[in-house]
Amino acid sequence: MTETIEQRTVDTVVSVQDLRVRYGATVAVDGISLSIRRGEIFGILGPNGAGKTTTVECIGGLRTPDEGTISVLGLDARRDRDELRERVGIQLQSSELPDKLGVGEALELFAAFYDDPADPDELMRLLGLTEKRETRFAKLSGGQKQRLSIALALIGRPQVAILDELTTGLDPQARRETWKLIESVRDSGVTVLLVTHFMEEAERLCDRIALLHHGRIHAIDTPAGLASGVQASQQVSFVPSAPLDGESLRSLHGVGDVSHQGERVTVTGTGDLVGILMTELARRHVVPMQTRVHQSSLDDAFVAMTNDEEQR
Amino acid sequence: MTTLTAPAAPSDRARRAVRRRPAFAQLLRTELRLFIREPVALFWGVAFPVVLLVVLGIATSSKPQHSLGNVKFIVAYTPVVMVFSLTILALNALPPALAAHREKGYLRRLSTTPVGAWRLLTVEVAINFAASVVVVVLIAAIARIAFSVPLPSELGGFVLAIVLGAAAMLGLGTLVSALAPSARIAGIVGSLLFFPMMFFAGLWVPRAEMGSALRGISDYTPLGALVAAVQRTTGGNWPGTMHLAVLAAWAVIMCVAAGRLFRWES
Repeated sequence: MTETIEQRTVDTVVSVQDLRVRYGATVAVDGISLSIRRGEIFGILGPNGAGKTTTVECIGGLRTPDEGTISVLGLDARRDRDELRERVGIQLQSSELPDKLGVGEALELFAAFYDDPADPDELMRLLGLTEKRETRFAKLSGGQKQRLSIALALIGRPQVAILDELTTGLDPQARRETWKLIESVRDSGVTVLLVTHFMEEAERLCDRIALLHHGRIHAIDTPAGLASGVQASQQVSFVPSAPLDGESLRSLHGVGDVSHQGERVTVTGTGDLVGILMTELARRHVVPMQTRVHQSSLDDAFVAMTNDEEQR
Repeated sequence: MTTLTAPAAPSDRARRAVRRRPAFAQLLRTELRLFIREPVALFWGVAFPVVLLVVLGIATSSKPQHSLGNVKFIVAYTPVVMVFSLTILALNALPPALAAHREKGYLRRLSTTPVGAWRLLTVEVAINFAASVVVVVLIAAIARIAFSVPLPSELGGFVLAIVLGAAAMLGLGTLVSALAPSARIAGIVGSLLFFPMMFFAGLWVPRAEMGSALRGISDYTPLGALVAAVQRTTGGNWPGTMHLAVLAAWAVIMCVAAGRLFRWES
């Protein structure tokens, strides 16, 4: 029975159309539309105040939008709220448990809320919390609290997991372990909606990313796609072995700009910049030394986006 | 990882359903544990009233007091001690506990699950009500055994008065937690309300010794009306209609206001 339902909604698991949310005079979300496919890790990335949390709160049925329609697993986020809670796991930003509640107790409590929960012992093992079973919430470290929060979002065996600021406050080691865990959650068939303001996290984890700014979607693409969309996406700098007329390089295909800093020449451009440049230098019998290549990253895309918006 | 999401086979699912505790029972069990782990509430709400009763029983005269309507001091005071414990639980234990749940985002966290936060509210109020009942019974038993205080022979009237009184006070406690911005302030407001309310219950000046104007005010306060109603039942009489009406009115006002004004998010 569940098979047929799942087959009907094969591709799109979350569909948001023209979402608008206002807080008094402030417009937090200003016409967002997006669709999330089954089994992907979808990132919502943007600076503070971009409307990321508000958007996922609407998707999770925690907040009623002023305008727009949201469908999650074929359910209406407002009308079918009860059914949605059974099938969507949410990890909220800055939500704590009672100080004196133990880790094992919390998981057993939350497991009792769902029809078909995961095994609390198994989840504790996966998240490295087994030794903390008896420890009370107030005594946990930041990373342990975060892992417990993730475990609670997964205890109901959700089909969609919404994780808000997943690794904030974790040390780099714990952060990498959490990423691995999220990938294995995705590999087991769960669609993951990830809110983050960490470029590295989005780049490493997400299959697709929506860049949000001032309540609007700036772009939706794969991390690589977003990065390559930035102008002058590559930069090659080197010290030539023999004097070089830098200006003559400008005529090469894909070269945008050439600049000199002492002996060092920096060429920025797009396309197969490195290959073309190296071939030309070889033809002129010039050897590039101390070569550095900078590929534009999601970081650049992000900065370019915010600059664009500021200039408007 | 498969255990997280792979759909369970029907037999497996059935087995789980049998083994698992219903959500409400598990919530009750967990909140009861948390309640017991809060020593301050247990001390002031349960242990202290019992000690107070014993000390008053031993220290005061065993002769009927004319000013108290020809009953022993401890007979007049037993209902006050009952009301004392009920009030501590409703005004000093419940509001900070509920406000802390909201302040920490726990209520909001629960509202993302199929259980919903209102069930937690129900469980919290139910636990404090149950604790009140346990202490009231304990006090009645100790007073009877140790100091020969008559049990309320009008049992129906006694139960009705206690239930209405507890509803009014737990409603007030929930209202305090609804309006207080933090657990700390909820605790302070609860304590500030405690003293004037207990004054009208006759903790410092017994109702029988209050002047008529003061007793007239006391009649219209929830705790004054509750003590008056309970005292009547010890003598085998049905509580006065006016006192029951006052209690019922307070219960309705407090519970409706608490229900209307309760916020799930801070």
